[in-house]
Amino acid sequence: MSNKHLFLKPGFVRAPLQNGVGRYVQQLQRIVLKFCKTHGGSRGMRDYIEQDLVDFAKQNPGVVVYLKPRRHRSPVVVAEYLNGDRVWMSMHNKSQSEVTKWIEVLRTQQGDVSGTRLRKFQYTDHPSIQGPWSPFTFKNPELNTAKLPDPKFGANNRLPMSATEQLRIMFEKQRLNEKDLKTGE
Amino acid sequence: MSLFRRFVPLYIKSLKNVPTSTPVKNIHRWVAPTLMEFKRRENKLGGKKTNPRNTFLEWNLEAELYAFGKRLNEDFDSNLLLQAFTDRSYVIKEEMKQKEMEIEIKMKDNRELAEQGEKFLNEYIQVYLETVLPKFPLEGIVGIRRYLTSEDLLAHVSLHIGTKDIILAAEYPVDNFTLANTFKAIVGALLNSSGDERTAHFVRDFVITQLQGKDVNEYWHIEDPWAMLTGLLEKNQTTVEPRLIGEAGKGTLLACYRVGLYIEKRMISTGFGESIAIAKEMAAREALKKLFGTEDHMKPINFKIDGMPKPKRQSHHQISAS
Repeated sequence: MSNKHLFLKPGFVRAPLQNGVGRYVQQLQRIVLKFCKTHGGSRGMRDYIEQDLVDFAKQNPGVVVYLKPRRHRSPVVVAEYLNGDRVWMSMHNKSQSEVTKWIEVLRTQQGDVSGTRLRKFQYTDHPSIQGPWSPFTFKNPELNTAKLPDPKFGANNRLPMSATEQLRIMFEKQRLNEKDLKTGE
Repeated sequence: MSLFRRFVPLYIKSLKNVPTSTPVKNIHRWVAPTLMEFKRRENKLGGKKTNPRNTFLEWNLEAELYAFGKRLNEDFDSNLLLQAFTDRSYVIKEEMKQKEMEIEIKMKDNRELAEQGEKFLNEYIQVYLETVLPKFPLEGIVGIRRYLTSEDLLAHVSLHIGTKDIILAAEYPVDNFTLANTFKAIVGALLNSSGDERTAHFVRDFVITQLQGKDVNEYWHIEDPWAMLTGLLEKNQTTVEPRLIGEAGKGTLLACYRVGLYIEKRMISTGFGESIAIAKEMAAREALKKLFGTEDHMKPINFKIDGMPKPKRQSHHQISAS
């Protein structure tokens, strides 16, 4: 993560308005193409408008397309989304195919995606499916029928072996070995 | 000269080791004070102003209304849709203007459509919920319906189908009440232009789907679950027996008791809590969820029922308000 990310709007991976549970609604609601009619920087944009824009508008009747010619200013695309986001993108000196691809990106995204910092790569409304933990959550079913106190359940076997215990075991082993030697004789 | 020759290589070596500074892109010192001054002047003039989208040069109301219908895949009558977007406050403002200019153009506001829409919303949501939650009591269904038709939720839906900029109202940005009212009016307009079934599917797809991922038990607060459970079971001539089936940390701050509810020696539910009374109440709540078919692991609500559903009530759980 770079420093730039600190100033991005934080967010989670979410579909707006449960989109797709009922029906799918395209999230791009309007797009404004600003360009110059004479300047060379708008060349690709002008080509796009001449050749592809009518098809775009026909295929996406839910998107309102506005054209805004302005003299000697560089070309710009402004996309507005249903969640209120507004994406401004410069198209200066971009070729027609580049403009087509960027507009396709703007059409298919659901808001200002590149302007948000994802806090996590996944999201859930229910972080736990087993509910809150209680001391009985993972209780051993054997305990239901056991008669307490029972050395099987009451044994203190949680602590690591103490030094005294280790010494005692070593001593026992040694004694056994000595016995073996004696029988060998 | 020899001295010079001897020291030249050393001098060149030291030149090589001089760190060449890379240009760092700094933000100039004047930027922050200037921005602060701009902000101060803006505040002096009454804060930041948001211009209404429909006063922009690139705005065509007719195109926006057309795209609105197409986006939602619905066929609206264009006059009715425009009427649905006309708020009462806008009509009053326009009439005042017209009086000043001494002309009169009749305008229709969306009150009638909103009333129709609200009626349809309430009826349809009620029927739908009764169908998808057949065992849930009527009080609970009404609670969920109230949530689904609340101002906040309808305003949220309304905002996300793109009404905010199109609404004709006296103020901008519009408040939640206007957004919710417009949504109701849109439902009314759709009812008048496409009929019951299309409208029902519209409400199902945009309003009822808001229940996705939510716990339906949250919208109905049961005051005394134990009394309700025993009352319900009395009707079936069965009695429920609570038993303490676990306790841990008795007499400490972290005490935890576990109570199980049994009917004829068969466990129906368990609950835990910091005292026996709370554990019993939690167990009763679990048991009620089981009876109503709204457990945590219930099947997801069906959002795909077509047409106007006809509820089949399993009506043994009709409860008067507790």
